[in-house]
Amino acid sequence: MRARDMGWIGCHNCGAVHDKGSRSCRTCGARLHGRLPNSLQKLWAWLVTGVFFLIPANLYPLISNEVFGHEEGHTILEGIVVFAESGDYLVAGVIFLASFVIPAFKVLVIAILALSIQFHWQLDRRVRHLLYEFVEFIGRWSMIDVFVVALLTGLVHLGAILAFLPGVGAICFALSVICTMLSAQALDSRLIWDGVENE
Amino acid sequence: MQDNHAEHEQKAWRALFASDPDGLIACPSCDTLHVAAAVAPGQVARCKRCHFALIAPRRDTLDRTLALALTSAILMLAVLGFPFLTLSRQGLANEISILGMIGELAHGWYMLLAIAVAMFVIGLPMLRAAALVYVVWGLRRNRAPRAARHVFRLAEAIRPWAMTEVFIIGTGVALVKVAGLARVSFGAAFWIFCVMVLVLALKNASVCRWTIWAMIGGRNS
Repeated sequence: MRARDMGWIGCHNCGAVHDKGSRSCRTCGARLHGRLPNSLQKLWAWLVTGVFFLIPANLYPLISNEVFGHEEGHTILEGIVVFAESGDYLVAGVIFLASFVIPAFKVLVIAILALSIQFHWQLDRRVRHLLYEFVEFIGRWSMIDVFVVALLTGLVHLGAILAFLPGVGAICFALSVICTMLSAQALDSRLIWDGVENE
Repeated sequence: MQDNHAEHEQKAWRALFASDPDGLIACPSCDTLHVAAAVAPGQVARCKRCHFALIAPRRDTLDRTLALALTSAILMLAVLGFPFLTLSRQGLANEISILGMIGELAHGWYMLLAIAVAMFVIGLPMLRAAALVYVVWGLRRNRAPRAARHVFRLAEAIRPWAMTEVFIIGTGVALVKVAGLARVSFGAAFWIFCVMVLVLALKNASVCRWTIWAMIGGRNS
């Protein structure tokens, strides 16, 4: 039995149960919504923006290093290749996962969740819920590469010998991660279990 | 027959709601109704449909949260004050703290990166710790502070954006990248940062949302 089946509203924030027509939660003060309004529109808006930023993030250099005045820029994929070639397979793997596989997979999963809700696909709800939890959990880990760029630029200043400069790709990538995190947060997870989208 | 059963169930729920609406929980994740039961510290009551952790009380949750939040704040001050890493190559050495690193970045459009690091690694984790201290301090003295609702909601909303543990993995990757180019040694702040990541994780685990909301709402449970 869901709160909705009883004609009640469950607070999306703290779970307190309210009569229909209540406006704000008596326990936590959050605005009450049977289901969060425009959840899917917000999700799509953030997701499309996130994908949009992902394109320059992969085309422009993430970082360039200056060794003895010689400057060389790397995109995300080139950076992974450099790690793999120098034998650091673990780091290459971590970056490949965090900066390439996860962002792409995340966008795909959020899109599948939204489409399955919108078009009432008969996907197993438990599977959908697992996918949702995965996306919520994993989103922030994509920031690894952004922090690496910041660390290298800020830490490594050895005069003319060696310096790092951030590339435009880094900021686009950070924006993309933020947008997809907001996209996942915009989804009212209760819709996954309704199989019905309204309000 | 089936309808009869559903009607019966609805009637039972209505009676429960009428006697004590706060005795019910609608799962925030899937909207399934549950009767809030007393849960022993260390146990977790999960939603029967989606397995969301509805109630997960800890022993001494208030004291523990307060202690860990204050500890993390003190450790953060230490992290900011001590050198983080030292790089050297061909007689040139460069010792830098996290604040120094952010300062180095804060020029031109790099400023955006500086802001991102300052916010995700220092600002938001500390804002969350401060918010928890404010709420928990009041609750320990048996009265919810005036703004407790807003502040605790803020603390929970910040949670996914506090990325100290992501930063420490990033540090590892950065070190590997520099390893071939310069000699790196760890400063005190690096080790303190590692401890702080641990303390923040323990702090997050010590917060039971349901228990704290019940206290803020003036219920005893």
